[in-house]
Amino acid sequence: MITRIGASAVSAVRASRELWMVFVSTIAGLLRRRSAPRGELARQLHAIGNKSLLFIAVTLGFIGMVMTYQACLQLGKVTGDYTRVGSQFLRLIVSDFGPTLTAMMLATRVGAGIAAELGSMKVTEQIDALRMSGVLPIDYLIVPRFVACVIMTLVLTIAGSLVMFAAGGLTATVSFGVNPQTFFDLGAVRPRHLIMLAVKAGAYGAAIPVVAGFCGLRARGSSEGVGWATTAAVIGSSFSVIILDFVISAGALWVTGGDL
Amino acid sequence: MITAVGAGVLRIAEQVGGIVVLAGHVLRALVSLRAPRLDGRELVKNLYKMGNRSVPIVMLTAFFAGGLMMLQSGPFVKQFQADALAGWGAGYAVLREIGPILIALMFSGRVGANNTAELATMTVTEQLDGLRALAIDPVRFLIVPRVLAMVVTLVALTVIGDAIALAGASVVGHFLLGIEWSTLYYSFVDNLEPYDFLHGVQKAVAFGAAIAVTSCFFGVSVRGGAVGVGRAVNAAVVAAAVSIMLLDFFLTFLLA
Amino acid sequence: MSVALRLTGVHKSFGGHAVLRGIELALAPGKRLGLIGPAAAGKSVICKLACGLDTADQGEIEVLGEALAHRSESSLGGLRRRIGMLFQSYALFDFLTVAQNVAFPLEQRGGLSADAMATKVADRVRAVGLHGSEQKLTSELSGGMKKRVGIARATVADPELVIYDEPTAGLDPVTTQKIYDLLAADQARTGASVLAVSSDVVALARFVDEIAFLHAGVIRYRGPAATIADAPDPLVRQFVRGELTGPLDEAPT
Repeated sequence: MITRIGASAVSAVRASRELWMVFVSTIAGLLRRRSAPRGELARQLHAIGNKSLLFIAVTLGFIGMVMTYQACLQLGKVTGDYTRVGSQFLRLIVSDFGPTLTAMMLATRVGAGIAAELGSMKVTEQIDALRMSGVLPIDYLIVPRFVACVIMTLVLTIAGSLVMFAAGGLTATVSFGVNPQTFFDLGAVRPRHLIMLAVKAGAYGAAIPVVAGFCGLRARGSSEGVGWATTAAVIGSSFSVIILDFVISAGALWVTGGDL
Repeated sequence: MITAVGAGVLRIAEQVGGIVVLAGHVLRALVSLRAPRLDGRELVKNLYKMGNRSVPIVMLTAFFAGGLMMLQSGPFVKQFQADALAGWGAGYAVLREIGPILIALMFSGRVGANNTAELATMTVTEQLDGLRALAIDPVRFLIVPRVLAMVVTLVALTVIGDAIALAGASVVGHFLLGIEWSTLYYSFVDNLEPYDFLHGVQKAVAFGAAIAVTSCFFGVSVRGGAVGVGRAVNAAVVAAAVSIMLLDFFLTFLLA
Repeated sequence: MSVALRLTGVHKSFGGHAVLRGIELALAPGKRLGLIGPAAAGKSVICKLACGLDTADQGEIEVLGEALAHRSESSLGGLRRRIGMLFQSYALFDFLTVAQNVAFPLEQRGGLSADAMATKVADRVRAVGLHGSEQKLTSELSGGMKKRVGIARATVADPELVIYDEPTAGLDPVTTQKIYDLLAADQARTGASVLAVSSDVVALARFVDEIAFLHAGVIRYRGPAATIADAPDPLVRQFVRGELTGPLDEAPT
């Protein structure tokens, strides 16, 4: 029992060190700016961004409706005053729900995608073949995905937040008779909330490809190995989004002295 | 452009159709009276494996999710000096929405994805054909026990997760927002109703079934080697996420 | 440069299981060496160690006059470009066409104009008998064709050392002979040093000068390829002749 816990602790420490090395090498590769094939960034932007847009819009749209519905339901029981629902909902979207839920969805789609792709390249020895040509796999494979994912997480966060707010507005107007002009009120959003959105989206966008790429490059064996790597990537990147959200939110609360 | 959109729509329709057909098979196997209805050992094995595998990550997720909701309601509480309401918003959001959804998403990533990978590997290594050659129905033997096990496990995880999430919310409320433990306790007890909790648990039943059926579908319909297995897992987690959000929407209105 | 490849006292284990237990192996420049041995004896491990794709637990490896110990991944790039490797499972890039796969090592090495590169790729593709398939994706190819693409990619940059891991596994006898004729013609043309791993001893013996037999983690025997079936070691004789009973069953593994 104790040896088992010890062994898993040792492997966890080793894994986190390797994960850190992947991150450092990615940043180093980013600064070196070479050996990524031409047109690869555009291809990755398309694969990560355009192909996720519908998925993000649908999932965030529905959850926006649900959240507004639940909030109005609760307010209706207590005060019946819906005037601040829209503005406060928007504040929450900008400072947390928008980036975090977008990233949770991207962790599923993009994280699993990257791990599946890199994992199958690893088990079919394509990664070794790259290395035989003097190519650094992290520069060639992870750097373009990293750049594309950071950019597209921000873009999709903005798109997803807009859809979420609009869907919430629709629910409030149709189901609870809230005046659209009252709901679509931008008053509660302050610059610091927009900073939160950018910081969170940037952090999530950086974490997802690094965690997923790390899982993919660690794949061993054949089809089981790829399946295992993809699973680990989904769980690892989703969980890192939650942890980052917690750390950034708590940090912001501490920095602003509770006045967020 | 139009052909691409058309092909995309067709592919989605094909997948949705496949998932529905598989769900029908599972239901029929569950209600049919022919014995043996279910491989009991396989069910117990899956229950143990799935629960064992997902408890740590789900508990951590629930703890942080509860803490996050408290962090988000913190500014309001401070603004209105309304410590007695601290648990209201956080608890309500956790029990009804954030808890069940986040737990289901993590469950899908851990257990659902793993299930797809396992079934997909069995499919590409022709083990499913092997079962059929022995006249064993793969749906009855492999899929039904997994579906049941996933529903039961997710419901159990949601019940435990709710408690952990409220604990997480309390910890954040006390240490980061400086609210007294007793105030936190009464803010939960006075403002939350048993139905808020049941609302989330009912959703967990539906989420569990959806994750189970989609993950099995993509597992058995895989094509082509290691590359195929990776793609199947990817498709399964995406489909599960969409199903969770759609079901959440309909259930919210149905259960209100 | 006295040797193309030298392994001295190389040990390697995976998950507590010792696969290589003191390998001593040297390959003189311009020579062809065959490596045979039972399944899972560690033949592919030796190939990977020789390119620095994996690191030895113990022992020294010297490739084309450079020692591999304590080398970082980025510093190995230049050395690896002088080595050609045919992977057991082809390892073709599935996101590139046949021509792009063959061109890849040249592009990464740089220093050639686009025209010169295209000519070189076209020559190589024709030499391995894949003329007309340049624009196909690798997923559209049969196993034998994939091997040919792998060979073309391994040799296109005129490497000084070429490692073939199972160049003919899973191919029919006629295709096997054609592949070995191709490898022999290539080696005669470039004078490269060759290490070839195979389980098909008869076909391999016609291609290489010498054969080494890997068993229980060490090089058990090394001798001229032509007379391998009459080797003094009864273990090797049994393995090469495919006899069912003999010392191979009792030998420690």
